[in-house]
Amino acid sequence: MNVYVLAIIFCLVFIFIAVELIRRQKLQEQYAILWLILGFVMALLSLFPGLLDPISHSLHIYYAPSLLFLLGLLFSLAFIMHLTLVISKLHRKLTRLIQEVALLQEQLRGKESNS
Amino acid sequence: MIKRESFLSMKTLAIIPAFNEEKSIASVIHAIKRAQPDMDILIINDGSKDRTSEVARATKHAVVIDLPVNLGIGGAMQTGYLYAARHNFEIAVQIDADGQHDPEALTQLIAPLLSGQLDCCIGSRFLMKTSYRSAWNRRVGILFFTWMIQWMIGKTFTDPTSGFRAVNRPIIELFANYYPEDYPEVEAVVLLERQKFRVKEVSVLMHARKAGRSSITPLKSLYYMVKVSLAVFITRIRNVS
Repeated sequence: MNVYVLAIIFCLVFIFIAVELIRRQKLQEQYAILWLILGFVMALLSLFPGLLDPISHSLHIYYAPSLLFLLGLLFSLAFIMHLTLVISKLHRKLTRLIQEVALLQEQLRGKESNS
Repeated sequence: MIKRESFLSMKTLAIIPAFNEEKSIASVIHAIKRAQPDMDILIINDGSKDRTSEVARATKHAVVIDLPVNLGIGGAMQTGYLYAARHNFEIAVQIDADGQHDPEALTQLIAPLLSGQLDCCIGSRFLMKTSYRSAWNRRVGILFFTWMIQWMIGKTFTDPTSGFRAVNRPIIELFANYYPEDYPEVEAVVLLERQKFRVKEVSVLMHARKAGRSSITPLKSLYYMVKVSLAVFITRIRNVS
């Protein structure tokens, strides 16, 4: 078995898992789209490895697979940055939610002791 | 709920963030009540594991808000400012729950706000020589932040980490919407200066803490120093509206 067959199998499994996660509603569509795009780009490149050569050549990259690593790394970095953004936003929302719950509880306690 | 006499002309709230302070909280509440009978007292119990909430409620002098999850000092204080904003308080005073802040100094702290001279008044341990002595690493941190604020806004605050401070209505509304996290005192000073509020220090006496330990270890304080410096720097260069 050569590395290309392995790569194709890996991509197919990856896409299958992504689709399955979307089907079970464990993955929100906004992220699902990203993962699917990544899966298809990877599958395309492993099906037609010749595609890589002209692109890397035009970028003066002499070893074509390193373009793959570069793209993979950039994608991962962008995705991690996006996730930290989402977490920060969630953190802010959660803080406000906790504060509102606490204020409501206090209000409720005040009402109960009055009546 | 709490009867108001005409001693204070403005509706004033003392906000006390408390995390595991069952030993000192009651005496702090009683001391405030003695010094300022007309001031409303609000305890923000920041998810304490001990009986802070029950002890505070038992005094019958304070409203207690229990945060279901520990938010840290910033989130807890903001809850207090939210409460102050929604209950139309005109002045809010932050006081530590560990007994370091002397409620006798509240009059000095609030006076410039009552007369409309200042928007925010900070109680400083170091403005004049007092008997207060702090650990050397604490002192280094305070000096560092004094220097940093001086460098950024060109004004000297001798005790920028002091949590003993009074603010007026516009700042209450600002803090209800936006309040810095984790170690918010230094950042808040820069934020207020940036928003052109009139901020000044008055000299106050502080006690050594009565019970409990400071949550700040040397390693943590280094982490906080870096983190707060970044936050202060960001506050300096962005516009919070």
